[in-house]
Amino acid sequence: MTINPQVYSIVVSEESFPDKSVIIKEGSGGDWIYVILEGRVKIKKQTSKGMLTIETLTEGDFIGEMELLKQSNVPRFTSAIADGPILVGTLDTEQLKRDWEAQPLRLKKLISSLMQNLEDAIKNFVDLAEASK
Amino acid sequence: MKTEGKIPPVARLKYANGDLIIKEGDFGLSIYEIISGKVGIFVDSSGTEIQVATLGPGMIIGEMSFLAGTSSPRSASARALENCTLEAWHPNMLTTAYKQMPTILRLITGNSLKSLVRVNKMVSGFSLKKRRAEAEQVQDSSDPWSSKRSFYRKELDKECVYRPVNSPKNLKLFGQIKDISRGGLQMVAKTSNSLDYSHVPGDEFFISAQFKEGQKVNMTAKIIKLQKGEKSGTISMGMTFTHMTHEDQKRLGFFLMP
Repeated sequence: MTINPQVYSIVVSEESFPDKSVIIKEGSGGDWIYVILEGRVKIKKQTSKGMLTIETLTEGDFIGEMELLKQSNVPRFTSAIADGPILVGTLDTEQLKRDWEAQPLRLKKLISSLMQNLEDAIKNFVDLAEASK
Repeated sequence: MKTEGKIPPVARLKYANGDLIIKEGDFGLSIYEIISGKVGIFVDSSGTEIQVATLGPGMIIGEMSFLAGTSSPRSASARALENCTLEAWHPNMLTTAYKQMPTILRLITGNSLKSLVRVNKMVSGFSLKKRRAEAEQVQDSSDPWSSKRSFYRKELDKECVYRPVNSPKNLKLFGQIKDISRGGLQMVAKTSNSLDYSHVPGDEFFISAQFKEGQKVNMTAKIIKLQKGEKSGTISMGMTFTHMTHEDQKRLGFFLMP
């Protein structure tokens, strides 16, 4: 997957991490959004049976966007862990927040709803995984 | 819900319990906000309708197709679980706003949309596997000669009495069994039954029917698929057995002998 050039315009810093680094920790605060520039990242959630992988993200995918487009100051819902060495770009969160706030109410409602549905779907998935033998 | 914002809502719509609001696979871009009532979201997984979410007032349905664009069919069905009022938003009033949104926000939204589609697929795949395993368990506990016909479905039109497993013993709801096999049955009931007692996939019921004169068979089954019945004002439930005594299994087995 290629990275949209527009993304680079709001990357404020680039950082590399070794394999298995925790980029975002579930339950922690923080509202940074990252874009994967190189490598792969696993999105995981803590369950009664250990860490469950929800999905694997690759170049061009974003990490940590769920919290920004829902409401601020909610704890991180999932963890993001490097799957091999990675290079990520940190996005200008303040700019993103301003852009987001300026959107029409209904459009914000619609996108927030998508984020909420994603969170619910992940919860559903975790419940099913926990219930299975 | 207030109607703030530049563009007025297009329409307020009322749906009765059981009504289909969005059909999976259809092409439609309208967005709905739930004003009152509950709406269930269902996905079809190899012919089985699986409920993946229950939404309430203030929540939005239909946003996935809108965000994915015109070429994308509805990824799930939405059905009223009680009498509902919805506000339908014409997609045009949001298309421009969405196009004008900064590219990065659109990319981020697209990213989440992709994740949601993926996770929903995993959830429905998982639920289906789980339900199949449960259905097989019931079959496994049967005696060997009858399990051979476990897939034989007998069509019939038999009145039965049923009630939710956690309801008072004297409660009697009536339904018609349309077909029955060793693994489960298809039952049609009046939609009004589901007004007082929950009838959604996953709900479990005690069912009692007489397949032969003077011989009652008691079954416990749960809904795996819920549809509108052929006649208006009815619902059709695809159910899988969750429990049956050995005696009842035998009686049903004899009844199912061709």
